[in-house]
Amino acid sequence: MIRVKDLKRYYGSGATTVRALNGVSFEIRKGEFVAIMGASGSGKTTLLRILALLDDATGGEYTIRGLKVSRLPEAERSYYRLTQVGYVFQDYALINEMTAAENVYILSMMEGKSKKESYRTALEALDKVGLKDKHDRVPDELSGGEKQRVAIARAIAKKPDIMFADEPCANLDTINSEQVLEVFKDLNDNYGQTIVMVTHEPWHVKYVDRVITFKDGVVVGDEWVEEQ
Amino acid sequence: MIDDIRVGALIAASSIKRGNKKTLIFIVFVLSLIFMNLVFLPSMIGGMTVLFTGFMQDYPYGDIVIEPTGDNTYINNADNVLQKVRAVEGVRAATKRLDVGASVEHKQKVVGVTVTGVLPTEEYEISRYPYIIKEGDFLGELSRDEIIIGSIISGTSTSFGEIYDDLGEARVGSLVDVTYSNGVKRTYKVKGIMEATFELVDLNAMVHYKEIEEVYGLDVGEATSVVVRIDEAGTEEQMKVKIREAGVNEQVFTWADKSEALIRQAMQSLGAIDVMSKFVGLIVGAALILIIIYINILNRKKEIGILKAIGITPGSIVLSYAFLSMFYVSLGIFAGMVLYLSLMIYFQANPVIFYETMKIRPQIDPMLLIQSIVTMLTLSVIAGTLPAWSVSKESILKAIWGR
Repeated sequence: MIRVKDLKRYYGSGATTVRALNGVSFEIRKGEFVAIMGASGSGKTTLLRILALLDDATGGEYTIRGLKVSRLPEAERSYYRLTQVGYVFQDYALINEMTAAENVYILSMMEGKSKKESYRTALEALDKVGLKDKHDRVPDELSGGEKQRVAIARAIAKKPDIMFADEPCANLDTINSEQVLEVFKDLNDNYGQTIVMVTHEPWHVKYVDRVITFKDGVVVGDEWVEEQ
Repeated sequence: MIDDIRVGALIAASSIKRGNKKTLIFIVFVLSLIFMNLVFLPSMIGGMTVLFTGFMQDYPYGDIVIEPTGDNTYINNADNVLQKVRAVEGVRAATKRLDVGASVEHKQKVVGVTVTGVLPTEEYEISRYPYIIKEGDFLGELSRDEIIIGSIISGTSTSFGEIYDDLGEARVGSLVDVTYSNGVKRTYKVKGIMEATFELVDLNAMVHYKEIEEVYGLDVGEATSVVVRIDEAGTEEQMKVKIREAGVNEQVFTWADKSEALIRQAMQSLGAIDVMSKFVGLIVGAALILIIIYINILNRKKEIGILKAIGITPGSIVLSYAFLSMFYVSLGIFAGMVLYLSLMIYFQANPVIFYETMKIRPQIDPMLLIQSIVTMLTLSVIAGTLPAWSVSKESILKAIWGR
């Protein structure tokens, strides 16, 4: 589903060049739940942002379902982000002036669905993350875990090919983290959602199928997790 | 495009509905002051212009004034001219006048004046002279040995008293000697003192038309001017043409023509101030609107980055800010209008006193209001669109995380 080949991302130039990604290659198949792990500064977030079309690579290429998305013009990248990619941010990245439902259904409206249909889709997505009854709350009225679940609902409402999550539990306590990870697990197990999640918490490994480990911008490990 | 509009409207609506109300009130307040800045000074200048031009219409020139051609001192067939003018459709009233130079003396005090010979009963339809008598009465049809003098001449003007020479103690009932420019001397009893707080009036004197005719030995029908009032204000130019077409061969002027000649410099200065104030108001307004909206958008830079990151098109984002700033500016215009109209009502009741005598009441000019509203709305679209467009062009990473 995702094929990354010799991907590079450099910042700066000359002697001060930072090689955030220095020739990364791997493949992820449909339905996998993959954790990208590594120390801070190892390049895992950079990789995720490039895959989610939020940033550009310096070199190499990557394809999603055979499409060289790295070479798409901005308008198509925007459309791709809207329709094919779900992204869950570390800090939730919800629009504070919108209710949970509005945060979710704005994307359906952008896709051209009617407000009624968009609202129904949003409620379904919120139901999947257990927040249907809080659809009319604004982010300030939700806990950190609930906000992150709204962000997940926003990412899954459009039924994306692939969902990226950048340290989704970084700002959450253990109980809320478990709730969020359970949601991911449920989406992966029951709906076949492909998920690529950046994390540095070793205990998160029990929820995923595979762990790709980064160090200094290169892949140093790629292991399948045995079911417990 | 329709999806962009729908999503833009959703973003703007939620921002309005749940955004910071204190910020909204502050923005609307500042925008209302910007609107006031655009309309208030021009309204005051408009009031000043109306005051000056109003004097011209109400006293010396009416709506249209007919004067002798070439070097002639008099219109020789004024009655004939009057007949033709009165027959023109749209003419409300017309009268003839005789203006002559003279000196007025009372108890060894002498002042130079213009004495206007009028037909008293006709003046009620033509001018405000009969209505500005502050002491005594206006002339009547039989007032052959009576005179009306301006308050400055009489020495009773509270406004111009120290600027001009006056007769000191001339009051209603006093006898004054008038020496006309041809040397003829007549004694009149002061019947009334008029005050318009306008020098051209308050420095004048007025006697019966027949009196001037007699003093100067004029034939019946001679006049220095024929003053015309029309039914519909603003149609002076058309009426001027109609009067000419009716066979009047004398010089025909509108009050504006005469005012322009007389107070051209003042009007040009007012016009220049008006244009400058509008220009400066516009520049200041445009800059303030841009700054307010730009700061607002900079505070939402991260939100714009997030919206882009989740797939919302830059078009929707830019539109949402255009809607938002249009909403701010519309509220600002509304609040500004309320403020402006309140001030207008206040200044109608309490006019600004100019040069201690002139009461200036600001004028509400609908065209100016429409222009200002359209200008502010146009600026709001630009002010909302430009910064949002600029931020939406930034990379997502820079917009969200500043790098």
